[in-house]
Amino acid sequence: MTKKQNKGGLVADAAVYSAEALQLAAFVYSDRAEISIKAGKGVFNVSFCGEAPGFHPGDYMNEVLNQQCRLDLAKQNSKAAGMIATKALLSAAGGTKKKA
Amino acid sequence: MALKKAAKKTEPAGPPQLLWRRDGASCLVTNDFGQYAWLKKKDFDLLLAGRLGGKHPRYAALADKGFIRDRLDFDGLAAKWRSKNAFLNSGPGLHILVLTLRCNHKCLYCQSAAAGPGARDTDMSAATAKKCVDFAFQSPNPGITIEFQGGEPLLNWEALKAAVLHARGKAKKTGKNLSLALVSNFSLMTEEKAQFLMEQEVSICTSLDGPADLHNRNRVFCGGNSHAATVKWLKFFQARHARQVPEYRVFKPSALLTVSRYSLGRHKEIIDEYVKAGLEDVFVRPLAPIGYAKNLWGQIGYEAKDFADFYLKSLDYILKLNRRGVVIREKMAAMMLDKIVNARDPGYLDARCPCGAAIGQIAYNYNGDLYTCDEGRMVGWEGDDAFKIGNVRKDTYRKVLTSGAARACVLSSNLESQPDCARCAYKPYCGVCPVYNYEAQGSLWGDMATNDRCGLFKGIFGALFALLKKPGNETILKNWVGK
Ligand code: SF4
Repeated sequence: MTKKQNKGGLVADAAVYSAEALQLAAFVYSDRAEISIKAGKGVFNVSFCGEAPGFHPGDYMNEVLNQQCRLDLAKQNSKAAGMIATKALLSAAGGTKKKA
Repeated sequence: MALKKAAKKTEPAGPPQLLWRRDGASCLVTNDFGQYAWLKKKDFDLLLAGRLGGKHPRYAALADKGFIRDRLDFDGLAAKWRSKNAFLNSGPGLHILVLTLRCNHKCLYCQSAAAGPGARDTDMSAATAKKCVDFAFQSPNPGITIEFQGGEPLLNWEALKAAVLHARGKAKKTGKNLSLALVSNFSLMTEEKAQFLMEQEVSICTSLDGPADLHNRNRVFCGGNSHAATVKWLKFFQARHARQVPEYRVFKPSALLTVSRYSLGRHKEIIDEYVKAGLEDVFVRPLAPIGYAKNLWGQIGYEAKDFADFYLKSLDYILKLNRRGVVIREKMAAMMLDKIVNARDPGYLDARCPCGAAIGQIAYNYNGDLYTCDEGRMVGWEGDDAFKIGNVRKDTYRKVLTSGAARACVLSSNLESQPDCARCAYKPYCGVCPVYNYEAQGSLWGDMATNDRCGLFKGIFGALFALLKKPGNETILKNWVGK
């Protein structure tokens, strides 16, 4: 699903990973590397620069997978999850009581 | 003549919503109503296939727990879900007032971002303390708990007194149920202060890290012996609890244990120390790599597996003591058991879905800045205000509770949106911490597959469910949460 690219970059299969997951993961890793993502034909080309010591592209791809799973899950669960979050926030803000 | 097509066989419907986890030859099944059952592999397969028929010996019990599709008692199960998640309707109940960052201790793991005893610019003024109390009473929650913390809160006695009296007045006016709590190292406690606290029904909590040498190593106090002061005042409050007076209630004091690297391997001595001090609860808490402790992790921290080992040995030792008639329980296990056995919410804000950040608790810094929780305040101390939700003087209650940080914490700690959690058998009892995730993994969501806190919770739940399988242990553990 991911292939090594020249110069330490990666190629991610667009059938598996969305641009959103790649970008969210890049944001999580923004303090460890500058990550740029370019869309190609059926793939995303990911390149890294300014990597902090200990940074490993594989860790970034784990985070991409985590974000992708979360986005996929949101498609199935977003209704229940949204109801719980809305209920909790509105109740806490004191906004669920009807005015007399 | 055309032959009639044979009617299509309909497959039996599978079970309703179900979470499961394999453990050797058996399977733990749970559901969102907080019900659980252990099943043999064979019975689990029957349940999954929808073929566990009415004559099966487990059928009735499983039906009662909501595991059989055509025997669902919707009203009963919905009532269980509602009572387990009642906190979704109530708003923040816990309000932590950080009265000062000053402290006369220099604890190795201190998370409270303490300043030296002379740094008076980090004290909360009495006026700000009263504002914080007013703010807390705007919560729709009918029960308000105000917890005084620091630093060492007794270093700012005037603000503490002002806040206590103001809160009592507010409770009278509003009719809300008020609980007051003080977390102190006791080094500045006097009989006069103790008397005021008892008369105002303030419950008292301290830190006890074990026998004197270990406690004093973790909790460095240049002005004397921290352990001696702790034990002396624990005994004082216990004695006063034992001989109640009609005018006010004196609560039993409690203590918190923070496990540092130096505690590992000393679980028996630590628990014995708690028993010796007359305490009936020991709250075995791991260090979190947040705030000050994050910077010292190499010196005092440990790996999750080391803590899990310490925790499980402690639990085992406590059960041994229980069998000998000694009354002592582990607090985290007790709170988890309350959820598992009684389908009740014990008010443990760290293991809720969504977590308690902002919707269950608010931390008030000495300068009136508001944070989602005390851990969020620690991150603020490091110079990152990701968890700041407002200021008590500048922002309205509604603005604070609908702030970006509050919403982000609610969304990211919702287990229904966490890939691993949504399918985890422990989900009905568990909770994630966005502050921990942010500090340890760089995002509010974290990644549970490699998250140490998740690993730890899995270890604790695994141990508790395994213990509940054995009838002898089950009776003891159920007694812990029987009241
Ligand atoms: S945090 Fe871990 S143990 Fe808890 S529900 Fe999520 S995956 Fe399960």
